[in-house]
Amino acid sequence: MAKKMLTIFSLIIALSLALSACAPKGTPTAPPATKAPTATPVLTPTEVPTAVPEQLTIWTDEARGRVMEEVGKTFTEKYGVKIVVQPMGFGDVRDQLKVAGPAGEGPDIIIGAHDWLGELVINALLAPIDLGDKKKFFLDAALQAFTYEGKLYGMPYLTENVALFRNPELVPDAPKTWDEVEKIADTLEKEGKVKQGYILQQGDPYHFFPVMTAFGGYVFGRDAQGNYDPKDVGLDSLGSIAAAKWLDMMVKKGHLKPEVTWEIMHTMFESGEAAMMITGPWSLPRLRQSGIPYAISNIPDGTTIGRPFLGVHGFMVNAFSKNLLLAQTFLTEFVATEETMQRLFELEPRASAFLPVREKTTDPDIAAFGKAGEVGMPMPAIPQMSAVWTAWGDAVTLIFQQQVPPDEAFKNAAQQVRTAIGQ
Amino acid sequence: MSLVEIRARGAPTPLAPKLGYISRLILRFLGLAVGDAFALWFLYQLVIDGVWFLAAAISVITLGINVVYLRKDLYSLHWLSPGLALMVLLVVYPVVFTVYSAFTNYSDGHLLTKKQAIRLLEKEQYLPEGAPTYRWTAFRSPAGEYALWLVSEDGKTLLTRPGVPAQEVTPGGADVGPIDEEGIPQSISGYERLSRIDAVRFLSELGKLEFGEPPNTIKISSLDKAAQYQQRYAYDASQDVMVDRATGTAYRAVAMEGTFTSAKGETLRPGFQVTVGWQNFNRLLTSPALRGPFTRVFAWTIAFAFLSVLSTFAVGLFLALVFNDPKIPARKLIRSVLIIPYTIPGFISIFIWAGLLNPHLGVINTHLVKLFGWSPPWLSDPWWAKVGILLVNLWLGYPYMMLVCTGALQAISPDLYEAAEIDGASAWQRFWSITLPLLLVSVGPLLIGSFAFNFNNFAVIYLFNRGGPPMAGTLTPAGHTDILISYTFRLAFASGRGSDYGYASAITIAIFLIVAAITIFNFRYTRMWEEVSESV
Repeated sequence: MAKKMLTIFSLIIALSLALSACAPKGTPTAPPATKAPTATPVLTPTEVPTAVPEQLTIWTDEARGRVMEEVGKTFTEKYGVKIVVQPMGFGDVRDQLKVAGPAGEGPDIIIGAHDWLGELVINALLAPIDLGDKKKFFLDAALQAFTYEGKLYGMPYLTENVALFRNPELVPDAPKTWDEVEKIADTLEKEGKVKQGYILQQGDPYHFFPVMTAFGGYVFGRDAQGNYDPKDVGLDSLGSIAAAKWLDMMVKKGHLKPEVTWEIMHTMFESGEAAMMITGPWSLPRLRQSGIPYAISNIPDGTTIGRPFLGVHGFMVNAFSKNLLLAQTFLTEFVATEETMQRLFELEPRASAFLPVREKTTDPDIAAFGKAGEVGMPMPAIPQMSAVWTAWGDAVTLIFQQQVPPDEAFKNAAQQVRTAIGQ
Repeated sequence: MSLVEIRARGAPTPLAPKLGYISRLILRFLGLAVGDAFALWFLYQLVIDGVWFLAAAISVITLGINVVYLRKDLYSLHWLSPGLALMVLLVVYPVVFTVYSAFTNYSDGHLLTKKQAIRLLEKEQYLPEGAPTYRWTAFRSPAGEYALWLVSEDGKTLLTRPGVPAQEVTPGGADVGPIDEEGIPQSISGYERLSRIDAVRFLSELGKLEFGEPPNTIKISSLDKAAQYQQRYAYDASQDVMVDRATGTAYRAVAMEGTFTSAKGETLRPGFQVTVGWQNFNRLLTSPALRGPFTRVFAWTIAFAFLSVLSTFAVGLFLALVFNDPKIPARKLIRSVLIIPYTIPGFISIFIWAGLLNPHLGVINTHLVKLFGWSPPWLSDPWWAKVGILLVNLWLGYPYMMLVCTGALQAISPDLYEAAEIDGASAWQRFWSITLPLLLVSVGPLLIGSFAFNFNNFAVIYLFNRGGPPMAGTLTPAGHTDILISYTFRLAFASGRGSDYGYASAITIAIFLIVAAITIFNFRYTRMWEEVSESV
């Protein structure tokens, strides 16, 4: 019985082997490269065909996917290369790439944010990009954002950053400094025109960063090449503490109140109960719909220039792609053109990172954001940044809630970051 | 005797059953062979990538299915085997994998297996110092052979073909036609010049070719650029060393780190997965998190789980008792209404509660302020935040307890109450001596389950207030309402090293051990109630 079973089993395995030989091979071994390609069918000169039916796969979210699909058709017509778009959630693109990339099942191109770089580059999931002659068409700060340890890993297409919103009926002229902001808030509140002259979310470091930089503070220092240095934690630098003290003063004087969320901040601005806030272009659709008058201006200065974080979105190439050359060519030849960049620009209210489109922007709001972003600093993409957000946010919250003195809060936050990243 | 059997017996066709048997046998073998083929193909892929654990799981499943289908005495397992296979794949494998991961460095920077990492590193190219770069134009023969016309930065021109040394050619000769304004010949005999657009069409083929004579071959790196690229890293398997051919530096594979590291301590990217022994557990035990606010977090976790169970059970039981009384009017309707919180997804109600309790816009707080001129700072005061989260969890949890108690109350015999009444027991006495002990016999295990659930109730903590308000002056970030699971979540994924799955697995195991210990203790304790029920 057992012997018979073994025989049958071995037969089945033999059959399976035969069957699996028909299955597509997982990793095709590249042919010896020095050998010239052998006999492809002889062609008449009149028809210039595509050598092999090729395609490029792009992973992106649905809205951008639709645009890429549409413009991709033109590419297919011109070059005979099919563009396949697989839509998925924005953040899923990154997470899925980590799984599918090494398995050889990832896309050729992804669209994502520059602050993914750290995570993706340490996993060697991105191929460096050579923009060649097209480099000069891109905003320098955007290229800087997609540069990691001296190598360019993405082709930027939009930039986003926060700027100062004000209600021009309450605040006719844009405040130039944070001192002015405080004075305006004080006057408006005393006159009873608003509940809060300037409103800021509690415990949100992203919206606090512009204040911090205005007083000379920083998160991570940068080396000569502009790379962020994880050994230089700046949360307890003199500038950061000066900003923390300014925040503390605003809370103590009653100009800023705890437990303000993004939602509350918006509701109060839209109802005219608050006169100034810091937010980004993502708020534009909502504000336009509310009908409240608004004006956008640069981040006010403190002891130095107030800089927002710069977020950049762009195209990246999967290092495991089998069409690296083609993927890169698609980007430089086809996406880095005024036509495609214009289509992408029309998709959402964000400043383009492609200078010919950026310079032609007629929408005053987007132009104002672009201007405020000129002094922006790319959000650090180094993995150590993940250790910063909570500690930093907690420090801001503790000041809002008046639990600890401002310098203590920020010194402790810096200590927490250093502990987490092992210094 | 079933109808089918009667039919089978009543139709004495001698050949049909035999044929049926053979065809079934063939079908079975064929099915197995196809299944095995898929499994083998899958295994082949997994082994290539060095994914040994999944390969082992797939092997076990495949082998098991083959044995079950080939041995007659295991016939009864035929119908169980799909379920068993899924159990191995979806339950056993993840558990084994989690335990295994806890002993590896599986994390960002170490996602790949060593084989994958080597393959990736060996793909990397570099341009030797001083090597010229060229702009290229491709020419293609009707037979599909290619030649490149190269123009270097200083204006030199070269003609190059695969396998043949590159040569300087004067244009305008017999082979090479006159050049155009860009310095590129309009024709080369036997070849046709490719326009920029055509070059894209043939780019994949062109990209695979190496032009010129080895080892100084020229490769295309973009639509505009070609140069003598060289393979940057070469792996020497005998010494387990990765050599950087540009600098000559040797990077040795370090077993406990999962990196290729040079003598100077520089490492190559990416690293790879290796087992690291108890390293993750050591890291957990020596973590500043344990020296920091750990005890406070742990105490609150126990308090939170205990108070959540107690409050939901008390309210649930009270409501069950009240609406168990037939004298209450419209009790069925009210009972249905009370179950509503149970039917709303927790994610939504937690957010709604966070909104209701907001001090600026929240309905509850604005009304409290109107009535009393004061409202509790639910989100910013450490104690009120704890009260708030317990109230929210009470709202989420009491309908379950009410349902469970309502059911359990039906099981208590009315005779006992009658007897007690005759003996003159008060309603209070009846509750304490009959209802509660008998109820706990059936509900006790559910309370323990509820305790374990709340011990790890990440969603309610995280969605309500993200564990806030923050504690001041702690060594690692922590909030006053953080429980163990939300606190450690921050540790594993906000360590500044990216996602560390190995470490997270070690934490999971540690938390499992704690919950298991408490559960065992609880079960021991509840045996008491079983004894009570036996003596009734």
